[in-house]
Amino acid sequence: MLRMKQYFTLLPFLLFGLAALQAQNTATVNGTLRDAQNGETLIGATVEALGLRQGNVSNEYGFFSFTLPEGTDSVTLRFSYIGYQTQFRKVKPVGIIKLNVSLRPEDAVIEEVVIKANALEEKMKSTEMSVSTISTREAKLLPALFGEVDVIKILQLKPGITAGSEGTTGIFVRGGSGDQNLIVLDEAIVYNANHLFGFFSTFNSDAVKDLKVYKGGFPAQYGGRLSSVIDVRMKEGNNQKFSGAGGLGLISSRLTLEGPIQKDKSSFIVSGRRTYADLITRAINKANADDPEYDPIPDYYFYDLNTKVNFTLSEKDRLYLSGYFGRDVFKFKDASFDFLFDWGNTTGTVRWNHVYGPKLFSNATFTFSDYRYRIRNLLQGFSFRLGSNVKDANTKLDFYYQPSNDHTVRFGLNVTYHDFIVARLKAGSDDGQVKFESGQNFDGIEYGLYANDEWAVNDRLKLSYGVRLSAWQNNPAFYARLEPRAAANFAVSKNWSLKASYTRMNQYVHLLASSGLSLPTDVWYPSTENVKPEVSDQVAIGTSYLIGDNLLVTWEGWYKWLRNQVDFIDGAELFGNDELEGELTIGKGYAFSPLELEIEKKEGKLTGWIGYTLAWARRGDFPVINDGEYFPPRFDTRHNLSIVALWELSKRWQITATWVYTSGYVTWLPSGRYTLQDVPGGQTQPLVPVYGDRNTYRYPPYMRADLGIVWKWWGKHTQNDLTLSVYNVTDRRNPYFIYIDYDSIVTPVGDAPTRIFAKQVSLFPILPSLTWNFKF
Amino acid sequence: MKTNILTHISPFAILVFVACNLSREVDIDLPEYDSQPVVECYLEPGKPFRLLLTRSFGFFDPFGVDSNFFQNVLLQDAVVTISYNGQTDTLYNTFSFAPSPLKVYNYTGLNLVPATPGINYNLHIELPGNAGVIEGQTVMLPLVPIDSTVVQFSPDADTVARVLTYVTDDPNTENYYRRLLNYYSLDSVPEQDFLTPDRFLSTPLLAFGTGYELGEGDTVYNTIFHITKDYYDYYESVQLAIIGNINPFAQPSPIKSNVSGSGNPLGVFTCLVYDRDTTVVMR
Repeated sequence: MLRMKQYFTLLPFLLFGLAALQAQNTATVNGTLRDAQNGETLIGATVEALGLRQGNVSNEYGFFSFTLPEGTDSVTLRFSYIGYQTQFRKVKPVGIIKLNVSLRPEDAVIEEVVIKANALEEKMKSTEMSVSTISTREAKLLPALFGEVDVIKILQLKPGITAGSEGTTGIFVRGGSGDQNLIVLDEAIVYNANHLFGFFSTFNSDAVKDLKVYKGGFPAQYGGRLSSVIDVRMKEGNNQKFSGAGGLGLISSRLTLEGPIQKDKSSFIVSGRRTYADLITRAINKANADDPEYDPIPDYYFYDLNTKVNFTLSEKDRLYLSGYFGRDVFKFKDASFDFLFDWGNTTGTVRWNHVYGPKLFSNATFTFSDYRYRIRNLLQGFSFRLGSNVKDANTKLDFYYQPSNDHTVRFGLNVTYHDFIVARLKAGSDDGQVKFESGQNFDGIEYGLYANDEWAVNDRLKLSYGVRLSAWQNNPAFYARLEPRAAANFAVSKNWSLKASYTRMNQYVHLLASSGLSLPTDVWYPSTENVKPEVSDQVAIGTSYLIGDNLLVTWEGWYKWLRNQVDFIDGAELFGNDELEGELTIGKGYAFSPLELEIEKKEGKLTGWIGYTLAWARRGDFPVINDGEYFPPRFDTRHNLSIVALWELSKRWQITATWVYTSGYVTWLPSGRYTLQDVPGGQTQPLVPVYGDRNTYRYPPYMRADLGIVWKWWGKHTQNDLTLSVYNVTDRRNPYFIYIDYDSIVTPVGDAPTRIFAKQVSLFPILPSLTWNFKF
Repeated sequence: MKTNILTHISPFAILVFVACNLSREVDIDLPEYDSQPVVECYLEPGKPFRLLLTRSFGFFDPFGVDSNFFQNVLLQDAVVTISYNGQTDTLYNTFSFAPSPLKVYNYTGLNLVPATPGINYNLHIELPGNAGVIEGQTVMLPLVPIDSTVVQFSPDADTVARVLTYVTDDPNTENYYRRLLNYYSLDSVPEQDFLTPDRFLSTPLLAFGTGYELGEGDTVYNTIFHITKDYYDYYESVQLAIIGNINPFAQPSPIKSNVSGSGNPLGVFTCLVYDRDTTVVMR
C-alpha cells in the first residue's frame, strides 16, 4: 500500500504544475456545439478566431474553450464541421464569452446526422495517432451481411484491425487478443459485444451516434485493456421535435423513437431491435407437429433495447441517463426436455456534465455493467444449470481544463468494483440425492488516476504527455502500476506532419477463451496472486500528408511488447473446475508492423478509404505450450488490404462497395494420426489426430467483395430508403475452417479408412438482402 | 464436461455446409511428421496380460488396406515385460483376439492379471532394432460397483423409457470415471461415452441417465470404469483431438500419453476396473 500512496501523491503535483501555466490578460470563449435540428452535441467541431490562428476543437461532450488576447476590436469566430453549414459570430474579446452554437446540416433535406470526429486537416494536426472514427452514416450505407448494419464490422475494414474469422464481429487490433479491447458504450464496459456467436454486434446502428477506436497512442483517461479502446456513443435524442426511425430487414426489425421532453431542455431516445427467425421456425414446427419423424427446430432470437434521456439542468449542468439491455436466447422444450441457453449484457450510465467556468469542464459518471450467460437443462427429475457472470460498478470523474490556448489538461480518477462468478455449475436430482456443484466467486477493485497535458509548444510542435496510475486489489493480491503516455506531432509544412507515440497499458481482467473465437461461454477471470496483470508497451511512428484539402495519406509503423499473456494449457478443463488457475499458463507476445497505411477521402461525391497493413504477431514463452517456442496466434495475418468506396450518384441513389483481401489466418491442424482400438464396449477410432506445434498451417487468402445500392425517397412526413446489400458478390468460397475426413470400409474390428483428405468449409456464398429503412 | 452446445451443433453445421455446396476437398501441406510408437495396454483383472503395439503415421500417409496392412501398422519384434508384486511377466509377440467385442493384441502374456487393488504395474518395452525403451506405470484401482439401475417410463408417453444408473463415490479419495453406454450389444457404437471426475460432487451419489428413447425389450449395457487420472487425461485428450478436427469452435489437444521413452511414444498403460450392468427394459 505504501507504493500506492507514493504514486497517488505524484499526480496532484503534476496537475498543480500544469494549472500554473494559466495565461494572463485574456478573454475566454467557451460553450457547446450542437446540431440545430436535433440538439445532438457535435464532437470534434472546429472553432477558430479568424486572423488570429487561435481556436479549438469541441471535446466528446461538445464543449470547447479557448482564449483570445483582450482588446477592443471585434473578432470573428468561425464554427465549422464537416457536413454542416459554417457559422460566423462576431465577439468583443473581453472577459468571459459564453457561446452555445447550433450548426445546421448542409443537406437539410436528408436530415441525416453526419458525425465525423475530425476533419482531415484536424486529424493531421492532432497529436492523436492510431485513431479511426466510424460514423453511423457511413455504416448505414455500406453493404452488410444479411443487411444488418454493424459499426463493429466496419471497424474491421480499418488498417491494423482484423476480424479473426469470416462474418464475425471479432476485433483483433495490432496483434492483440480479442479480450484486449476496451469496448465502452456511453462509458460503460461491454464485456461481450456479440450476438449469435459473434456474427452480429450488440450495437444497434439506429441508437449509435458514433464510434471511435484507438489502436495506440491511448489518451491517459483510458486504461484497463492492452490493445484498443472502442468508444461507442449513443445518440442523445432529438430535443427539437418528435421523430422516429426504423427498418425491416431480412433477419431483424428495428424501431427508434426520440423527441423532446421539454424543447431545448431535455430529450429521450428509445431504440429496439429483434430478430424473427424463431417466428418462422415455430411455424415450421407447428406445421410438422403431427409428424413423428420430425425433429423440431430450436428457437433462436436476439434483441436489444437502448434508452437514453438527458436534461439541461442549467446553463452549466447537464444530466444524461442511458441504458442498454440485450439478450440472445436459444431454447428448446418438449415433453421431457427443457433446454435454455441465453446470454447478454446490461449496462447503465448516469453522467453529469458541469461547467465550472470558461476554462474548466467536468464529467462525473457512474456506470453499471453486467454480462452473463446461463445454460439450463431440465430433464424430468433432474436439472443442470451452468452460468458465468461479471458485474461492474464504476465511478469516474474527469476534468477538462484549458488554462491557455497552448495547454489542454485532462485529469481524473475512477474506481471500479468487479464481481465475478466463474463457471458456476449446479446439477442433480430434484430430490437432492444427487448433487453436483462447482464454480468460483471473485471480486476486485480497479483504480485509475490520470493526468494529461496537450501542449502546443510552437506553431510546428505539439506534445501530449501524461501518466495513468492504475491499481488492482483482489485480496490478497495487490498491484499498482504506472502507465506513461506520450505523443508528439511535428508539422513539417502546412499539409505534412510527423507523429510519434508511446503508451503502456495494464489489463487486470482476462477472458479465458478456449477457441480463440469469442463465444458466450468464455469467462472473465480477475488478476490474482498467480495470474499477474497483462502489460503492453507500444511505440508508433507515423506521418500524415494532406493532398489538397480532401485526401489524407497516413502511414504508421508500430511495435508492441506483450507480457503476462494468459492462455489455457493443452486440454484444459473450463467447466466443473474450482481450480481454474491450474489450467492457465502465462507467456509473452509481440506484434509489429512496418507499414500500416490509410488513404482517406471524406468529402465529395466519392468518399471512402483504402487501408493496408503488413504485420506480424506472435505468442510464446508459455512453459507448457509448444515447449516455450513462439507461435502465431490464429488471427495473425501478413497482408490486409481493404478498399471502401461510397459514391453518391444523386440525392436518391448511392452505390457503395467494399473489397477485402487478407493473406490467410493460421490454424492448428494435426500432423499425424494413429488408430485407437479402445476398451471393450468402446468404439475403435481409426483416426485419432496427433497435434504437434500450434498454428503451423496458414489458410489460403481470404478475399471478398460486397456491393450496396441505396435508393432514397421522401414522403410528406417520411424519409425512406431501400438498401440492397450483396455480400460476397463474386460468390467466392473463402475458407472458414478445414477439417480432415476419410473414406472407409467396414472390417470386423471397425471402420478402416481407405483414403484421407482435407475438406475446406466456407461459410457464406453470395448473399443478397434487402432492407427498408424509414424515418419520420 | 468440456464440450459445449457448439460441439453438438457442429456436425449439423457441417451437413448444412455440404448441402449448400460450401464444403470442398482441398490439397494442403502439413508439417513433416516422424512416426511414433503407440501403446495400448489395458490390464483387466482375470484376463491375460495383453498389449497392442502399433505405430502412428503422417496424416495423409496411405492406409494401404491390403495384405500388408497389419505388417505396416503393427510394431513387431519388441521385447515387452510387465513387472508387479516382485515378479516380471513377458508378453510374447503373438496375436491374440478377444471375441465380442472383438479386440486384437500383438503381445500376450501367459498369466492372468490379478484383481487385487493397489498393485503397481510397471511396463517395459524394448523397441526392435535397438530403437530404445518405452516405460509406463499404473496401479490397480478398487472396483466402484453400480448400486442400482432403474427403468422409468415417461409420464407423457408411456411407450418410451429411460434407464438411470446409480453409483456411490468414495468422497475421501479423488476419483475419475468413464461411462460407456451401449444399446443392443457391446459391439455397437456407444450411445454415450464420457469422462467425469468426482470433484464437483456434493453428495456421494452419482447418477447416469439415458434419454426417453428406449422401448420395451431393449437391452442396455451400462459400464462404469473407475479410472486413474492418467487415463482420464489421456482419453480426454483423445476426445479433444477428434473434436478439434471437426469443430472450428473447439481447441484441439495434443495426446497426453502416460508412456514415455524413445520415439516420443503415444498411448496408455492402465488397469481396467469396471462394473457392467445389462438391463432389459421391462415394464
